[in-house]
Amino acid sequence: MKAELSTSLLNPADYEVAADALSSCVHCGMCNATCPTYQLLGEENDGPRGRIYLIKQVLEGNPVTNATRKHLDRCLTCRNCETTCPAGVPYAKLLDIGRNIVEQKAERSLKEKATRKLLRTVLPYKNRFTPLLAIGRVFKPILPAQIKSKIPRNVAKGKLPITEHTRRMLVLDGCVQPALSPDINTATARVLHKLGISLITQKKAGCCGAVSQHLSAEDEALVFMKKNIDAWWPEIESGVEAIVMTASGCGAMVKDYAHLLRNDSDYAEKAKKVSELCKDISEIIVNEDLSKLSITGKEKISWHPPCTLQHGQKIKGVVERILTTCGYELLPVIDQHLCCGSAGTYSILQPEISKQLQSNKISNLQQNNPNMIVTGNIGCQTHLQEISDVPVIHWIHLLDK
Amino acid sequence: MTIEAATRNKLIFQLAEVLPENFLLTTKEELRPYECDGLAAYKRLPVAVALPDSIEQVQQIVKICSQLQVPVVARGAGTGLSAGALPHEGGIVLGLSRFNKIVSIDSENLTAVVQPGVRNLAISEAASPYGLYYAPDPSSQLACSIGGNVAENSGGVHSLKYGQTVHNVMQVKIVTIDGELITLGSETLDTPGYDLLALITGSEGMLGIIVEIVVKLLPKAESVKVLMASFDSIEDAGHAVAAIIADGIIPAGLELMDKAAIHAAEDFVHANYPLDVAAILLCELDGDDIQLAEQVEKVDTLLKEKKAVAVEIADSPEEQARLWAGRKAAFSAAGRISADYYCMDGTIPRKQIAYVLKRITELSEKYGLRVVNVFHAGDGNLHPLILYDAGIEGELETTEKFGGDILELCVEVGGTITGEHGVGYEKIDQMCVQFNDAELTQFFAVKRAFDADSLLNPGKAIPTLHRCAELGGMHVHNGELPHPELPRF
Amino acid sequence: MTNITQNDITTALQDQVKQAISSNTPLSIQAGNSKRFYGHSIDENTNAKPLDLSSHTGIINYDPTELCATVQAGTKLSELEALLAQNNQILAFEPPHYPSGTNNQDTATIGGAIATGIAGPRRAYTGSVRDAILGVKMINGTGEIANFGGEVMKNVAGYDLSRMMVRSQGTLGVILSVSVRVIPQPEQNMTLAFDASQTEALSYFQELRKTNLPITATAWLNDQGLIRVSASEQVLKSCKSKIKGDEITNGGDFWQGLRDHTHEFFNKNRPLWRFSLPPASSSVIPLDDAQLLEWDGAQRWVHSNTPANIIQDIAKPHNGYATLFNSNSRIETHNNLSNMDIFPALEPALLTLHQSLKSQMDPQGIFNPNRIYRGL
Repeated sequence: MKAELSTSLLNPADYEVAADALSSCVHCGMCNATCPTYQLLGEENDGPRGRIYLIKQVLEGNPVTNATRKHLDRCLTCRNCETTCPAGVPYAKLLDIGRNIVEQKAERSLKEKATRKLLRTVLPYKNRFTPLLAIGRVFKPILPAQIKSKIPRNVAKGKLPITEHTRRMLVLDGCVQPALSPDINTATARVLHKLGISLITQKKAGCCGAVSQHLSAEDEALVFMKKNIDAWWPEIESGVEAIVMTASGCGAMVKDYAHLLRNDSDYAEKAKKVSELCKDISEIIVNEDLSKLSITGKEKISWHPPCTLQHGQKIKGVVERILTTCGYELLPVIDQHLCCGSAGTYSILQPEISKQLQSNKISNLQQNNPNMIVTGNIGCQTHLQEISDVPVIHWIHLLDK
Repeated sequence: MTIEAATRNKLIFQLAEVLPENFLLTTKEELRPYECDGLAAYKRLPVAVALPDSIEQVQQIVKICSQLQVPVVARGAGTGLSAGALPHEGGIVLGLSRFNKIVSIDSENLTAVVQPGVRNLAISEAASPYGLYYAPDPSSQLACSIGGNVAENSGGVHSLKYGQTVHNVMQVKIVTIDGELITLGSETLDTPGYDLLALITGSEGMLGIIVEIVVKLLPKAESVKVLMASFDSIEDAGHAVAAIIADGIIPAGLELMDKAAIHAAEDFVHANYPLDVAAILLCELDGDDIQLAEQVEKVDTLLKEKKAVAVEIADSPEEQARLWAGRKAAFSAAGRISADYYCMDGTIPRKQIAYVLKRITELSEKYGLRVVNVFHAGDGNLHPLILYDAGIEGELETTEKFGGDILELCVEVGGTITGEHGVGYEKIDQMCVQFNDAELTQFFAVKRAFDADSLLNPGKAIPTLHRCAELGGMHVHNGELPHPELPRF
Repeated sequence: MTNITQNDITTALQDQVKQAISSNTPLSIQAGNSKRFYGHSIDENTNAKPLDLSSHTGIINYDPTELCATVQAGTKLSELEALLAQNNQILAFEPPHYPSGTNNQDTATIGGAIATGIAGPRRAYTGSVRDAILGVKMINGTGEIANFGGEVMKNVAGYDLSRMMVRSQGTLGVILSVSVRVIPQPEQNMTLAFDASQTEALSYFQELRKTNLPITATAWLNDQGLIRVSASEQVLKSCKSKIKGDEITNGGDFWQGLRDHTHEFFNKNRPLWRFSLPPASSSVIPLDDAQLLEWDGAQRWVHSNTPANIIQDIAKPHNGYATLFNSNSRIETHNNLSNMDIFPALEPALLTLHQSLKSQMDPQGIFNPNRIYRGL
């Protein structure tokens, strides 16, 4: 597609990405077919092709109002469109660039700004989010329904194994997950222990930066990224095999460090290494000898592949293979490619669309009466649990028995 | 062609009265993404976009436009490749994307009642639990809407055996320009009166707004096999096509891809296509087991006789899906090797395939533009993709000229300028080549019967006599060239 | 293959049409007259002049590998079918010939088959007359010659006037030649017969519709269901175990009898009604007269003296309709056309659209006036 981008709006690095994205788009419209918001809203402006067009206008220097921002805000960044796109348009990268400029050009209301700021100042910080969540649990009975539903029950962390294997891997503790479901990483450590791998954490590492990145606070995101790289670097130099991600949302982000820091002379090389080492937990486990776990699963499972796993990291069929190898029966789920509506902070910022996607997703997941629903990202997990009749857990628990 | 301010104000005021807030777009910013359809080379900004979700709303919108004499351009998924949904600067776009419900599936009569905005593939997905599917499968079937399919009479990979849209639709409800709701066709195998269903199919939004469709469903084939044959020359592949048909076999699909198409598609879908051959032929056969076994054997032998260097037979649905995935993604995948492409759609007698492909190569050299060939060989329906870069000054114009030459070549050998994409805005000049004044006049007569003031998608599909006269030039009519004794290049 | 003589005939026809336009004289388009009984009589109420296409004959272009034959409208069906048979091809819609007269003369032409759109036993399985149309050359309402469609498989340039000519019964123009898609001829045919009530047969046909078996005709009459299967010897053998019934020997004659209405069922002296119902209609038409079913029950024949309005009321609740196919028995003379409505009434808005189309395409109203509906 032809575009005449304004050089005054874009730095050279972004210019290159945007020009490449726009020229590879042939405007065929395939992306709309798998876009959750286009399906719900039936509006060109609320599908990837329309959003690309909106961004193109912005980057060509046309006037921007909050109409454009509204449509860009409605994007879940699920990246389903990238999976569908035959021309290989790097949509999410273009969207990031577009959102940043729109954020500056079309100012938000004070209320919106405050909400987004609040999310950015609480969620990424474990030591802020955890006490707030604890307070929330205490006051849950008197909180408004919309917030109440977002507060899950308290989960025990569980015991960590004591291990001294020669194979060592780092794990990202993250920010929200340790508060909401601290048992995921302990279960992961126990499973890897059985497979002969020690899982180690680096306390100084924290939020991956995705929250800030998706709320168009790129500079803030860069700070998180560099902090993590600094925290991990000594371990990387000492030869850890991988940096394991137990939340696919974080995984997609860390795998993108290489791209996001590519023009930073101090960090480009290190970021590249980090992104290479970054692996979703399923990518690790699928290559191991699963018989060591001696699991014979009996339950009927509905699997929800997070968008950040299937579209963001393009990992498909891997968790499915692990679980069926371990004897679990995976039930057919229709529209498995669609987002559940959690999408990071989306469920808070776009509650209406989020709720519709959530209820569509749950009815598809529950259609064949599963014993439980499993997924691979903390965001999807808590979001689905809100209205699910059956437990929603991280799939790693199924191997930790 | 633009609208007067007073009319515009009245129009928007009246539309806003009948439509909820987010059903009407009027700002440039939000209208811009509607300025083109799947053929992004042509752009026009409409006055407004209306996005109704009920037939009553469509009737109200059309009545308002009719009263104010404002053009109405219907749009489905906006995936069309002939700029058929290109807006009119003085008119509105009537978007039917919110008509996306499958109303019912009748597993006894083998039909489905669907709204026009339903995606083509969604019909087959919904019919699948009943062992049924909807046969016409344009390559854009994931995204394109059934309403658009009816408007363009879309075909697809399986048209060869199962027909185009016109062969697979039982009934259509349209809203006329007067706002009247009329049912064309029926649930029976024939309908009293004129076959207006055939007429509306392929009428490119110029006779009525399609608001509901009853499609025919077919039982899924018991077994399917896909053969992939590789050839060292594209002519050999062309001859193999003729040989299969001559042998009395009608494959479910018979598709040809040239080297450039193979490479572009392989890059995206990793279908395991051979990269060192000049062309591949994908041949899908279906039927009951015994019949299928007979046909596979025959076709395999024929392909080898016709110089196929290798024939791979895909048995499993997964392998077959893999082979087809590359074919279906081939157009858009061309985006990977070129900034823009221009997709042609001429249909020619099968025996002319090799000749026409040779001529296209010559034209490609003449114009200095690359061409990717991927097409429905069994139908003789060509889809040369001309690769160009709209960013380069004058390249679109060169491309249009090249495309025009290809279409005129198709008419010259006894074919047509469009097999399934429609004329739209893109091929309107070539209509002057294919039809004479008497024929065009006949089209105007039909148009007048439905839309006397020419408000439905004006300026598309049928050129005015004036336009044709201005184009002048050399006309090839029904394959009869004037002065055939003159040498031509 | 066109020769000078044919061009002269075309020109003569065109002159006649022009003459008719200028003198405002209606034309009654005809050739073999084998389907003259179908629809309202033209001659009776007007001073129509015949426009005879029976000498406008010949194969214009036929290449078996193109799956298309282009023929002059006056070409006899029998001649065309014989040519196709030499190349192992057939017309998918199995058009009726309706031989008539004392010698059972076969005069049916391809033009008539297209104009009336009547199809034979194969229709429900391999498509309608209209489905097989690729192109039409016609004389239009201003006396000019116009081509629509073509000879290629797919063609969406301009409105689809060629397919719309099917069933228009000459009211929109004079068909000069047609291009039809042809299909390969199956190696063999086999007919299986089984005893069944009408209800049982309907439900069995319905079951078969959901399979992919190579069925090319079904019928039910006299408490017997009949199924024609067309394929290679091997496949037919396997079908015997999949489809119920015993093979009968005179299957070919039987289906031809149904196609041409020469079967004794049609030898009755009462009006012949044709019901067109959705294929899965499982109900039996509540008429005492004998019934013959085809197309899995989508086409049903009844000779009945029941008044037209009652007949239509029977069809309507099934989302179907009825046609007075032949007001008297076909073997009688056709001078007895009543004022009965032959085709079911159209919804007012739809009728208006028909009238508007007719007046645009035939402004002088000279082509077969009132043949289908009064005013068309």
